[in-house]
Amino acid sequence: MKGPFSFIILIVLIVILFLSGQVYGESLSCLICHGTSEGKIFIDGEKFAKSVHGTLDCTSCHLKYIDTPHRSADKEIDKATLDMSSSLKLKSKTDPVALSACNQCHPDVFEKVKGSVHGQNIFIKKKSDGAFCTDCHRSPHYILPGKSGQSPVDFGHVMETCGGCHEKESISKDYGFSPKVLERYKESFHGKKYILGHKRVPVCTTCHGSHAVKSSKDTQAMLFGKNRIKLCGSCHSGANTKFVSAITHKPMGRDNPIPYYAEKGLIILTISVIAGCVLHVLLEAYSIIRDYIRKGRIEEDESREASVTGE
Amino acid sequence: MSPEKPQLQVSELPKEIERFNIHYRIQHVILFTTFILVALTGWALKYPEVEYSSRWIRIWGGPETAGLIHRIAGITMLLDFLYHLIYLAYRFYKGERSFDILPTPKDLKDFYQNIKYFLGVSREKPKFGRFTYSQKFDYWAVFWGILIIGSSGLALAFPTKAALLIPSWATNWAWELFSIMHSDEALLAIVFIFFWHFYNEHLKPDVFPMSWVWITGKISTKDLKERHPAEFERLFPDASIKKKEE
Repeated sequence: MKGPFSFIILIVLIVILFLSGQVYGESLSCLICHGTSEGKIFIDGEKFAKSVHGTLDCTSCHLKYIDTPHRSADKEIDKATLDMSSSLKLKSKTDPVALSACNQCHPDVFEKVKGSVHGQNIFIKKKSDGAFCTDCHRSPHYILPGKSGQSPVDFGHVMETCGGCHEKESISKDYGFSPKVLERYKESFHGKKYILGHKRVPVCTTCHGSHAVKSSKDTQAMLFGKNRIKLCGSCHSGANTKFVSAITHKPMGRDNPIPYYAEKGLIILTISVIAGCVLHVLLEAYSIIRDYIRKGRIEEDESREASVTGE
Repeated sequence: MSPEKPQLQVSELPKEIERFNIHYRIQHVILFTTFILVALTGWALKYPEVEYSSRWIRIWGGPETAGLIHRIAGITMLLDFLYHLIYLAYRFYKGERSFDILPTPKDLKDFYQNIKYFLGVSREKPKFGRFTYSQKFDYWAVFWGILIIGSSGLALAFPTKAALLIPSWATNWAWELFSIMHSDEALLAIVFIFFWHFYNEHLKPDVFPMSWVWITGKISTKDLKERHPAEFERLFPDASIKKKEE
């Protein structure tokens, strides 16, 4: 698309952006190119304007450009952000500074993430795995408010979002967790209700935490040891140690023989009872039909006899 | 020759006799109403991943309302069960003791005879007593079902209370067990009722569209004689003796 046609589109787009009334000056000038180009550098101006970050300037986060045709913004980058960006090179190859820039407005969240099992993996173990802001919240350009019903971290979507990594065989092998936890959750008391649309059941983050998520082996984890009583008790008042063992996300296997064999036994019982009943019913139905036909024959014989003697 | 027809002194026999008194009839009505409710509201939890399950639950006003209906119906059923037990105890105490519903060796013989009759090996139907083995099976299946599903259901509905009763050595498997007991037994109960009870009390040509005894409590002496000959003989020995004399 070249020539006057694309120019008209450009003008129309600019007008739309003005009318939507949320994208101002600087962002708008970036969007003239980034709103119309294709590929990784494309930014959907309209969606951006509706996002929670719609009022920010591009350079609020893109403090420094690396290896691009742009002139760097004349902004001073604070040391914390700069330090963090060096730790985040594995998480964002294109713009670790922009990723660190979340810290400028959300320092408290950053602290939590740093101490979490995800953050520790990035900052201490220096791995590229471990969820960071954009892994769960997705592109910072389109972050929607929690009430929109479309946020990847809201009640309806957080399971899928966690599952994105926690159902992956490769990651689960590296860190020793089961890729079946989500499946197990869906089979659990809570999970079944969740699938049916219950609104007051716990999802992943309810018990494991979100930004500050800890390994279940961490003594600070909400579900470690005695902490779990308090955790479960927040919904089930009166929870005790015997109660909190109900949810494990462990597959039902031979290692827990009583429920395992009870289920097998009940399946055998069900099948044999049903098979026995069906067989009995069929046999009885057969005998009823047989008797009916036989009775008909007898009556026929009788009437024939009667007609013979009658003559 | 036509088969010998018994010459009964019809005038001596009542037309019908009471089979279930008003207490049993009320117990039965509460039982099947609550059974239908718990079955319908609980069904979706057995297969939540199927799309129709969520739609079905929405008809009931969503999972929370369906859950409430399920619990209320379940508890009502348990109270009904309690009513039954207390009534039985009361009758026992009053001396009106009847053990007709207990399984006896005769049931095995009847069963064997019935299969022989079905297959055409024998031409003689078993002489059933007040309750046939099918009816006893029906009764005890429900009895067992209420014990299993009712106890696990109470534990699942009031988990923090149940936790106080569970011994600590059982905590690793008790919850799984409750959930299995409740859902698998419920499936068994529903399918059983559909095959067994519906056939025997609704679809069988003898009783179709249904046996009215659940509402009238009465059975005609003619039906009694046909379906429960041993009980008929016990109740009306004279009529049976006359038949033998002829």
